[in-house]
Amino acid sequence: MASRLANWLDERLAWRQVWDAIFLRKVPKINWLFTLGSATLFVGVNQAVTGILLTLYYVPTPDHAYNSVQYITTEVTAGWLIRGLHHWGASALVVLTVLHMLRVIFHGAYKYPREVTWWTGVGLLLIVIGFGFTGYLLPWDQKAYWATTVGTRIAEVTPVIGNWILRIMRGGEELSAVTLARFFGVHIWVLPATVLLLVGAHLYLIIHIGISAVPKREE
Amino acid sequence: MKEEEKKEYLERYEEEKKKGVPFYPNILFKDAIVSLIMFVALLGLAFFVGAPLEERANPADTSYTPRPEWYFLFLFQLLKYFPGRLEVIGAIVLPTIALLLLAALPLLDRSARRHFSSRPLVIAGSSIVVVGIIVLTVLSVVEAPPPAETTQGDQVAALYTENCAPCHGPSISVPMGTNLHSVIALGKHEDMPAWNADLTSDEIDALAGFIQSPGGNQLFTQYCGDCHEVSDLVAGDLLELRRAIDLGAEYDAHDDADISDWSQEITAEQRTSLLNFLAAPDGQRLFALNCSSCHGRSVAYSGDQSDLEVIISQGGLHLDMPPWRDALEASQLDALARYVVDPSSEPGATDLFASYCAACHGERVPQSENFDTAREAIATGGAHELMPVWGEILTSEQLAALVNYTLDAAQGAGIDFGQQLFAQNCASCHGDFGEGGPNPALQGDIIAPISTAEYLTTRDDVTLRAIISQGQPNFGMSPFGSAYGGPLDDDEIDAIVALMRSWEDNPPVEFPPEVVVPPVPLSAEDIYDAVCSQCHGPAGEGLVGPELAGEAFASMYSDQELFAIIDRGRETTAMIAWGEILTSEQIDQLVFFIRGLSESQDTPTPSAASFSNDVVPILQAKCAVCHGSLGGWNADGYENVMTTGDNAPVVIPGDPQESLLAQWLLGTVPQGGLMPPSGMLPQDEIRLILDWIAEGALDN
Repeated sequence: MASRLANWLDERLAWRQVWDAIFLRKVPKINWLFTLGSATLFVGVNQAVTGILLTLYYVPTPDHAYNSVQYITTEVTAGWLIRGLHHWGASALVVLTVLHMLRVIFHGAYKYPREVTWWTGVGLLLIVIGFGFTGYLLPWDQKAYWATTVGTRIAEVTPVIGNWILRIMRGGEELSAVTLARFFGVHIWVLPATVLLLVGAHLYLIIHIGISAVPKREE
Repeated sequence: MKEEEKKEYLERYEEEKKKGVPFYPNILFKDAIVSLIMFVALLGLAFFVGAPLEERANPADTSYTPRPEWYFLFLFQLLKYFPGRLEVIGAIVLPTIALLLLAALPLLDRSARRHFSSRPLVIAGSSIVVVGIIVLTVLSVVEAPPPAETTQGDQVAALYTENCAPCHGPSISVPMGTNLHSVIALGKHEDMPAWNADLTSDEIDALAGFIQSPGGNQLFTQYCGDCHEVSDLVAGDLLELRRAIDLGAEYDAHDDADISDWSQEITAEQRTSLLNFLAAPDGQRLFALNCSSCHGRSVAYSGDQSDLEVIISQGGLHLDMPPWRDALEASQLDALARYVVDPSSEPGATDLFASYCAACHGERVPQSENFDTAREAIATGGAHELMPVWGEILTSEQLAALVNYTLDAAQGAGIDFGQQLFAQNCASCHGDFGEGGPNPALQGDIIAPISTAEYLTTRDDVTLRAIISQGQPNFGMSPFGSAYGGPLDDDEIDAIVALMRSWEDNPPVEFPPEVVVPPVPLSAEDIYDAVCSQCHGPAGEGLVGPELAGEAFASMYSDQELFAIIDRGRETTAMIAWGEILTSEQIDQLVFFIRGLSESQDTPTPSAASFSNDVVPILQAKCAVCHGSLGGWNADGYENVMTTGDNAPVVIPGDPQESLLAQWLLGTVPQGGLMPPSGMLPQDEIRLILDWIAEGALDN
C-alpha cells in the first residue's frame, strides 16, 4: 500500500529524483567540523519555531511589550522554556554561524567553484546579526532600551547620511513606539523572508556543487 | 585560477566523491547527533539559566549603563579606543572594511591552494581578527562588569516612569506648597485615578519627593541607595534625617557602615535637595508627620503668615509664656495640667483653658505626656523647648509649604458642613457622635465607636477618606464616594473627615464598645431605614440608587431576582453583596418590605377598580381595534375578556403576576412582546387593570 502510494506520487512529483539528489548523493569523506553548517540550520529552525510561538503572546507596543514578555515567562505553559530556547538559541546561532564560517575559511572552501555559496553565507551572517540587534529591543526592559538607544546612536556617526539612518531606525529622533514596531516588523517579517531566500540559495548551491572535501597537504 | 587548475580540481573532487559515502545515512547521522547535542545544551541553558528580564524600560533613568548583547561587546569595546571625532573610524570605517574583506575573500585569495599550510596570509589574518575579537570581548567584560544581580537601580524613577510618565511626561512642575501626597493618593484632578489603591503610602511619599526634588532622588541613589531602600527613609523622622545627613559618617547608625565622609562632599544645596526628596515640601504631609503628633490633626491657627513662620522656625524658643503660678491658684494649675494630659479627665478645666491658654494655643491642647511636666511648664512658663526648633531642621521649601498648608487648612475647616453630612449619611449607623451601636445590617454585631482618640490617631486622613469613599463591604458599609457609586463627592467626604478630626482632641466618646446596649433583633424596616434608604430614599423613591417603589421596578424583577441582587450585590455599583452581612431570612423580609413599598405608594386609591368604569374604557380605546372580530382574545365585554384567547384564560382573578393580560401589558411574557404594539400603556392605566385583577377580576 505504502509503496503504491509512493509510486503514485513519484509518477506525479518525481520525488525519488529529489530524494536521490539530496540524500543519496555521494559526499567526500569529511570530519565532524562539517556538521557546523547543519547545526546552524537546526538552531535556525529552533529560532523560527520558538519565535512563532512567542509572537502568539507578544505585543509590540511599549505599554504592553514588557508585560507580555513577563506573561510569557510566568503564565504561559512552558513559556519560560520557549523564551529560554529562543534567547539562548540566538547566542548559539551567532556562535555556530561564525564557527561555520571559520571552518570554511580554514579549508579554503570559499574558492572555486563555491564563491557564490560564500557570498550567500556572508549575507546570512549579516542577517543573523540583524536578528540579534532587532530582537534585543523587543523585551522592552532596561537592557533592551538602553542598548538599542546606544546601538542606533552609533549608526548616527556615519558621515553625511548618519542622521538619516538614525531616523529610519528609530522612526523619529527618539526611541519610541515606532522604533519598537519597526524592530518587531523587521525581526519577524523582513529578516525571516530574506533568510528563507538566502538559506534556500545556500542549500541549493551546497547540494548542486557538493560539500568541499578536506584539502590534502599538496593541494 | 587557470582553466586547467579548475579542471584539475573538479576531477580530483569527483574522485573524492567516488571514494566518499552517501549523505544519507552516514553524514546525516553525524549532523543529527550534533544537532541533538545543541538542542540539549539549549534546553539546559533555558532550564538552568533561563532568559533574563530586567526591569521595565525606563527612559527617565539615564543612570543606567547600557550594555549590548555579548556578541556585540567587542564592537562596543573597539569604540572606546576611538573617542570623539575618531568615533566614526571604530563605528563605521573598521566594520565596513572588515565586512568588505570578508565578502571579497574569494576574489582576493584566488590561488588554487587550499591547504592551510599553503595560505599563511589568510590564515594569519583571520586568526588575528578572531583573537582580536576575543580579546576585545574579554576586555569589555573586565572593564565594565555586568551590573550586579540586585538591580537596585533608581526605584523611584522606575515607579515614576511606570505610573506617572505615561500621562505627565518626564517631569511635572508642581506649584510650591501643593499637597502632593493627597493629590497622588486621591487622584484629585481631571482623569487621574486614586493611586492609594495601587501604591503604598511610602511609594506615594517617594513619588512626591521625586517630583518636587528629582535632584535629591539622584543623590539618594548615589549616596544612600547602596544601603537604604527609599521606602525605609522617605517621610521618616525629619530630625533624624537631618542629623544623619549633616553628620554623615559620624552619625551613630553609620558607625558600622563603611562609608566615606560624604558630609564633606555634599554641598549645602545638595543637602537641601536630598531633604526635599526624603520629605517632599508638601504641607499637608509635613503637618501630618511632624506636627500632628502634638497638635492633633485639625489645624486651627488664626494669625498672620509671618507670625506663623516665626513660630514654626523658632519652635520651642518662641514660647513666650508667662509663669502662670503668679496668676493662678495651685488647684487651677493642677486642673489645667490634668486637662492638658487628658482633656476628658478634667472637663471642668475647659473654661480655664479657654480663658487663659486659648489665646495663644488656639483650641488645640498642647499635648503633654505626664502631669508633672505639664504642671511645671504651666507654672514656670517661658521657653520650654518641647517643640523642636524647626528652622534648623526644615528646608526653606518645606517650611514654606508647611506655613501655607497651616494657613489654608485653618481657614476652610468645614466642620459645620461635615456635621450636617454626618447626620444625614453616617449617624444612622455610627450614632450622632460616632459612638457606634448595634449594626442595623448585621444582627448581633456592634459598630465600634469611630470617635475615640484611639480610633482617630491610628488612622490618617487618607485611610478615613478611603473607608468613607469605598465603604467596608465586609462589615455592611456600602461605598459613599461618588467614584464608587455613592452619594458623596470628594469635598463632602473631606468635610466629614474634618469633622471627625475635630473630635480627636476632645473625643466625644471614650467608653469601650462592650458597654453599648445589647443587640436587638432587627426588622426589615429597621434595616431599610438605616441602610437601604441612604441610596434608595426613605420611601424607596430613589436617590443615587434606583427607585424601588414604582410599578416599573416591581415588574422588572421577580422576588427571586430581587433576593439575588441583594444577596450578591451589583458589581460596579455601590450595591454591595449584602448576603455577607444579612441572613437569608433578613433578605427575605427585605424583599417583602421592598415589595410593600411599591404597593403602598402606588395604590393611592384602595377603592376597588371597577370593570365597567375603569377597565372597559381602556380596553375599548386601546385593545378592541384588533382584539375583536379578528379571532384570538376578544376584548369586548366581561365574558369575552375572561374566557377567549388561544391561551385562555388570560385573566386569573386575584393573581396579576400569573395573568397573561397583565404580562402582555408589562411586556414580561416569556418570548413575547409588549401590548399594545404601539407602546406601553400609561402607568395609571396599567395600575387600574392590575388592581382590578388583584381584587378578583369582578364584573363590577
